Amino acid sequence: MDYIVDGFVKAVFLLIHLDPATFSAITATLKVSSVAMAVSLVAGLPLGFILGYFDFRGKRHLKTLVDTLLALPTVSVGLIVYALISSQGPLGEWGLLFTLTGIAMGQTILALPIIIAITAATVENIDADLKLTLVSLGAAKHHILRTCLWEVRYGILAGAVAAYGRVLTEVGISMMVGGNIKYHTRTITTAIALETNKGLFADGMALGIVLIAIALCVNICLSFLRKQ
Amino acid sequence: MTRNPPIYLLEDVTHFYGDKKVLDIDHLEIPRGSITGLMGPNGSGKTTLLKILAFAMRPAAGSIYFNGRPEYPFSPGIRSRVTMVTQKPYLLKRSVFENIAYGLTIRRDSKDMIKRIQIAMNSVGLDYEGFGFRQWHELSGGEAQRVALAARLVLKPEVLLLDEPVASVDAQSAALIRKASLAARKNWGTTLVIASHDLAWLFDCSDTQISISNGTLFSTGMEIIIPGPCTSAQGQKMTKSLDDGQSIVLPPMTGSGKTAVIQTDNIHLATRFEKDNGYDNQIKGQILSMQMTGRNQRIMTTIAVSQMAFMLALGPQYSSRLHLQPGKVVFLMFKSEDILWR
Repeated sequence: MDYIVDGFVKAVFLLIHLDPATFSAITATLKVSSVAMAVSLVAGLPLGFILGYFDFRGKRHLKTLVDTLLALPTVSVGLIVYALISSQGPLGEWGLLFTLTGIAMGQTILALPIIIAITAATVENIDADLKLTLVSLGAAKHHILRTCLWEVRYGILAGAVAAYGRVLTEVGISMMVGGNIKYHTRTITTAIALETNKGLFADGMALGIVLIAIALCVNICLSFLRKQ
Repeated sequence: MTRNPPIYLLEDVTHFYGDKKVLDIDHLEIPRGSITGLMGPNGSGKTTLLKILAFAMRPAAGSIYFNGRPEYPFSPGIRSRVTMVTQKPYLLKRSVFENIAYGLTIRRDSKDMIKRIQIAMNSVGLDYEGFGFRQWHELSGGEAQRVALAARLVLKPEVLLLDEPVASVDAQSAALIRKASLAARKNWGTTLVIASHDLAWLFDCSDTQISISNGTLFSTGMEIIIPGPCTSAQGQKMTKSLDDGQSIVLPPMTGSGKTAVIQTDNIHLATRFEKDNGYDNQIKGQILSMQMTGRNQRIMTTIAVSQMAFMLALGPQYSSRLHLQPGKVVFLMFKSEDILWR
């Protein structure tokens, strides 16, 4: 039990003393996850709206594909992105391997299907009278898109939280694409994996507590926004 | 001199849900500035017709002319001129003020917005200070209905379509909705089409009434529709069995008509059963309500007959002579040959 208590104590110590390695991992994690979420939301919301709102040929197959991508293993995404951005890959000349941008790319692939699927499901369940109401109030197509998404914002927020949780806690992509380079591409999850492998359980525990604290902060912020 | 075209002209409009034909209108004209009452049983096609008139639904076939010009669903030119309040009004998840401001905001029409919203709220009996900043979930059904109406009235629409506006509101809200609707016509010449089950309220509001059944229109509004199913157990004549054991005798089904209709003028009332009086239908019922309508000094009398309701507009002298009052048992007498299949 001692090492668990030690973990808590060390976590507080590392945070209070602004440990550079810990803060580098926290910063890297927040950077890549924020970029991945921003890109996923910008691309995923309109795509999810189209998938949920309109009826078109092949919609059912597309939904099956998106739902399948929800269960994509992070190591598989890591492998695909690695293959794309390694020096032999088609995007090799961009030099994205072992960079935060590379990790963000992989995490976007992870989060995008979640945002699309949850937006589509939420939009599909919109009250049928909403569209009629908007059309009868004179709304153009872009007004309908914006207003519908705003009307289902709480459902989408829940989807975004789920996607953020998956992005924040993944190891496979960060490890394979980022390479776990200290002060550069080391994220909280890869640092935890490394410290635990080295037998530095307290350090791993400290970072785990930080990770949980970040998730808690995000949820508190969203809960506050929901009340507004 | 050219005659002004009607605001709506529908020609050969049909619509289907799956294989079922839900609307079949050969010809319908709605004059500019009129208030048209639309009545009919559930599933008769009222809401479908209103959606088509709102240009929010494309009919399977047929032409719609608006102010004499052919128009199409979702056309930008029409969108801001016709507006509709649905049966269960959808309020955006915002404050009352933002709900009413929505239509103006998307039109980028913010001139005197607060004043205009105050006027619209007052017209439906809502106090700006008390209700303006309430959230959508803090309203009763009647208040939500009035907010939805205010959100349309603030746009000063050319056409206002109301689908069951008083279905779930109290008498006070119903009176306020009526007053606001009439004021819209008076102030801006708005044309109204109102679908309602509350026939007394509808007769009180509207200039003309249209009955609709199985998607087919009957223009006078003074018909009783006898819903199916009917059987042909009595020789060639048809019979409509009622839940209380009584039955209505109908003529044999002719032509393509599937809806049995009788003009209310052909229905007579008696306070007791009369033997051999020439009427093959003497149906016992009970007066549910009697309401004086201000427009034509008639008493809208609703008579419950088993699961059906007969609505008759009676003269005050006629009602007085028979000592009619709610709760009284009466006999509706009519001839089967006066029932038409349409």
